Amino acid sequence: MASLELRNVVKRYKSQTVLDNLSLTVADGETLVLFGPSGAGKTVLLRLVAGVIDPDEGKIFIGGEDMTDLDAEFRGVGMAFQNFALFPHMTAFDNIATPLEANRSSQSAIKAGVQSVAELLKIGHVLSHKPRALSNGQKQRTALARALVGSPPVLLLDDPLRNVDAKLRFEMRLELPRLLADRGATVVYVTQDYKEAMALGDRIAVMSQGVIKQLGTPEQIYREPANIEIARLFGDPTINLLDVKPSRDAKGIYVGLSNVQVHLTGAYDAMVGRDCVIGLRPEALSFVDESTPSAIPVTVEAETPLNEKIVTLVRTVRGREILVSRPAGTPGQSEGRAHIAVDGKSALLFDRASGDRIGSKNVVNLRSGEAA
Amino acid sequence: MSQSALAISGVDKFYGPIDRGVHAVQNLTIEIDKGEIVALLGSSGCGKTSTLRMIAGFEEVSRGTISVAGRKVHTLAPVKRNVAMAFEGYSLYPPLTVRENMAFALKAAKLPKSEVDAKVASIAKLLEIEDILERYPSSISGGQQQRASLGRALIRQADLHLLDEPMGQLEPQLRAVLRGRIKHFIKERGLTAILVTHDQTEANALADRIAVMEGGVLQQFDTPDMLKQRPANLFTGTFVGEPPMNVFEAYIGAAADKINLRLPDGLSLDYDKDAFSGAVRDELLKRERVVIGIRPYAVRRSKDGVPATVSANQWLGDQTHIAADFAGGSLVLVEHDRTRLELGAPINVSIDPKNLHVFDQSSGAAISHGMELA
Amino acid sequence: MEHTSLLERILRGVALTLVVIFFMFPIVWIFMMSFQTNETILRIPPQLVFKPTLANYTALITGKLTTAAGTLDIAFMRNLWNSVFLSVTSVAVALLLGVPAAYAFARHKFRGSEDIAFTLLSFRFAPALLVLLPLTLYFQKLGLANTYIGLIWVYQLICLPLILWIVRGYFEDIPADIEYAYRIAGHSWFATFRKIALPLAGPGIAAAGLLAFIFAWNNFVFALVLASADKQPVTVGALAFITSSGIQYGQISAAIVLSITPTLALALYAQRYLVEGLSLGAVKG
Repeated sequence: MASLELRNVVKRYKSQTVLDNLSLTVADGETLVLFGPSGAGKTVLLRLVAGVIDPDEGKIFIGGEDMTDLDAEFRGVGMAFQNFALFPHMTAFDNIATPLEANRSSQSAIKAGVQSVAELLKIGHVLSHKPRALSNGQKQRTALARALVGSPPVLLLDDPLRNVDAKLRFEMRLELPRLLADRGATVVYVTQDYKEAMALGDRIAVMSQGVIKQLGTPEQIYREPANIEIARLFGDPTINLLDVKPSRDAKGIYVGLSNVQVHLTGAYDAMVGRDCVIGLRPEALSFVDESTPSAIPVTVEAETPLNEKIVTLVRTVRGREILVSRPAGTPGQSEGRAHIAVDGKSALLFDRASGDRIGSKNVVNLRSGEAA
Repeated sequence: MSQSALAISGVDKFYGPIDRGVHAVQNLTIEIDKGEIVALLGSSGCGKTSTLRMIAGFEEVSRGTISVAGRKVHTLAPVKRNVAMAFEGYSLYPPLTVRENMAFALKAAKLPKSEVDAKVASIAKLLEIEDILERYPSSISGGQQQRASLGRALIRQADLHLLDEPMGQLEPQLRAVLRGRIKHFIKERGLTAILVTHDQTEANALADRIAVMEGGVLQQFDTPDMLKQRPANLFTGTFVGEPPMNVFEAYIGAAADKINLRLPDGLSLDYDKDAFSGAVRDELLKRERVVIGIRPYAVRRSKDGVPATVSANQWLGDQTHIAADFAGGSLVLVEHDRTRLELGAPINVSIDPKNLHVFDQSSGAAISHGMELA
Repeated sequence: MEHTSLLERILRGVALTLVVIFFMFPIVWIFMMSFQTNETILRIPPQLVFKPTLANYTALITGKLTTAAGTLDIAFMRNLWNSVFLSVTSVAVALLLGVPAAYAFARHKFRGSEDIAFTLLSFRFAPALLVLLPLTLYFQKLGLANTYIGLIWVYQLICLPLILWIVRGYFEDIPADIEYAYRIAGHSWFATFRKIALPLAGPGIAAAGLLAFIFAWNNFVFALVLASADKQPVTVGALAFITSSGIQYGQISAAIVLSITPTLALALYAQRYLVEGLSLGAVKG
């Protein structure tokens, strides 16, 4: 059992508050992704948990035990760093062996432990190399092996795929869930890549400026983002955001897009006549016939394929740009005039002034540690 | 004389003495039509940047000729080639504001001020840098500098626009829409653009045709669709496409009316002989060992497929990536719906011979794509 | 990979030769003088061809200097030993104190740490003569004048700041993550210092030590004032050759050759470390 809990943690550097009264609980065996732009405080949070820096206020519990005042070497966590942080003067074997040496394992136990984890990560053949002689991918795997080898109950992974190329990153992304599941460890995984976040996280904590802005499953974050900022961070192409003012008619609440009424599903009555922003995921838009009800006339500006999707930039008669995405190989329109339709069910409505999503249950302020 | 916008003919580049130095670009011949967007794609050291620098005139051509708009330019100074360039390191003039940087070439060409202002305003709007026009390069972010640098290149009226890794540092949220706008801008004005990139996603998004380079040698020059459907060799096959192509080594065997492809660790894919055209079948049966490739989106789940277990199931919002392990290997499949599969769940995957790419085991050259010979 | 024309290569060769001659000439000249008698040295015009003699070296090693005015006892070998002992011990002490201090300054930014580090460096800027008089008085009161301990202590003014600043730069170049990784793997801070920081800063420590050794060896003023004959290093001891009956150029040259040999050998042996250590450490420190 090794759940992880941060309780009202504050960290300041000089006058700057890097973590602002942050509380967070990660369940035993859960993988929690910390996602956010650089400077959001993700790495600082990991280091606090690891014990290499100390919080100014608040407590850190691992497996229910207060670890706040314990030095790093007694916390029993494993950590992989963004820049790998391999020991340049030691071979890959010795690098991986360091956690086992610390707990005074026997030579044979060390050998067996290193071998098995190296096998798992497919670096068995480079164990005698120094980091300088390793490729980037091998370095990254060595760093990961070092974090895993002692089977620590808590694993901290600080953007471990940041410095490897796209192909390796993809490969590792698919490989990691199994590795982590096998270990049964509680994982905190830091990344700036929304795909990694969605692929690996049981839950995602979206951080910004030292505060958790939203905490939820990938599904919740993607489909019910707390605000515009978060909606923009997830998804490629980025969500379309258009200024609208909802109105009401007999069929319900609708917004006008290029003189076409698009009806929305959702409890948006309070927003009638207010300044809003509608968020339309590119994949929730599709090319349709002119005869389709609520078809919006557009002109196609450019078609840009993207990883098995076709992304089309279209412009409405009022000059607004919209991105439409569809699976490669499905019919669409690549030039000239066209019509698109909006899936009103998946449309998101935001308050223009605050940026918060209307009807968002998740607009919780986690600053003071209130539960979601 | 041809009317192509750019004709590179038999170009070699040596660093060091000719024929003895490092052979960075080897006998490159490419012709690009006016109005085309072409990407030079490859990993670092593949020769793409040397090629670009030779076109721009920053690097001497060791052998061969380069013509821009029908004019032989490879011996001219860069300034006389009528080529605009956006540099990878941005190279904005530090003492000038973003506006002055962008207007620099136009002012030098003595355009009237009103026209310069109008052009700057329209490009600034396109690249979303209107609010930083009066700022200096040192005070804006990397992504903004990259957009300013792009603007400085696109604003010029030139025979050729060279863009060196033009979008690598862009803010991810802006990338898709800027790709669309830039492509539209180039097409609308009939500009000819050459884009150098290591990112195949970038190349696929923007280019009409892509020249894939590796080790100084042009591997294939074709449309994005053709690169995916008919890769000339294993290198292009695996380099282009994300997620990357699934690749296996396989032994070829024939039995009665079947052709089977045996993977080293046991799994055997059995196909009816009729699944391949006669020519392909003959070509395959000549060999013992080949490399087979299948694109992740062409892998299907079907009851009569190969039994496998799910080792990863990752939903990215609009795609699901699934990794499946089977005896002796694993492969990746992509589905556009939200698929929910537990880790360890059994599935059956099938590889339609129509989507099978076969490569020569030693040279890597393509042998067949589906029913057709390469 | 470079392709330079023949002319370019010739010009470069000529230029390099000139530079070498310019810098090597004094050393070569002194080396030649050390094998000549005073008479041949002082002959005008100077001659390149002469009959070499080992008399100067014999005089130094036996400690008997024969001049026109008679035989003089000189303590050159004693001086040489003093130089070796003082320099080695000073550097050892400076490393023992300076390396951990440098680590502390590099890794722990505490209030005033920058000021303290700078104060220590400023000792190197201050002219030695400034502190010499009060120091002499204190040392006499404390009974440290003319003791090895006193000299080694004063030599820390030379060695410690040098080691502190060069090694600190080296420690700062080690990414903190590497040390964090070792701590998180379960090792104490001291083990981290010993197993990670020290080996990685090794070249810098070696360079700093060498440089400090050379500076200590070459020191003159402190030893001149604070040490009497039996504790003097060679730099001061060489004064003995300026005798009432004239300057013994031959012996001075031989003494110089003997006294620069250790530092020269060290510098040649370790010049790679020196250049690396200094350019890396000094720039960042």
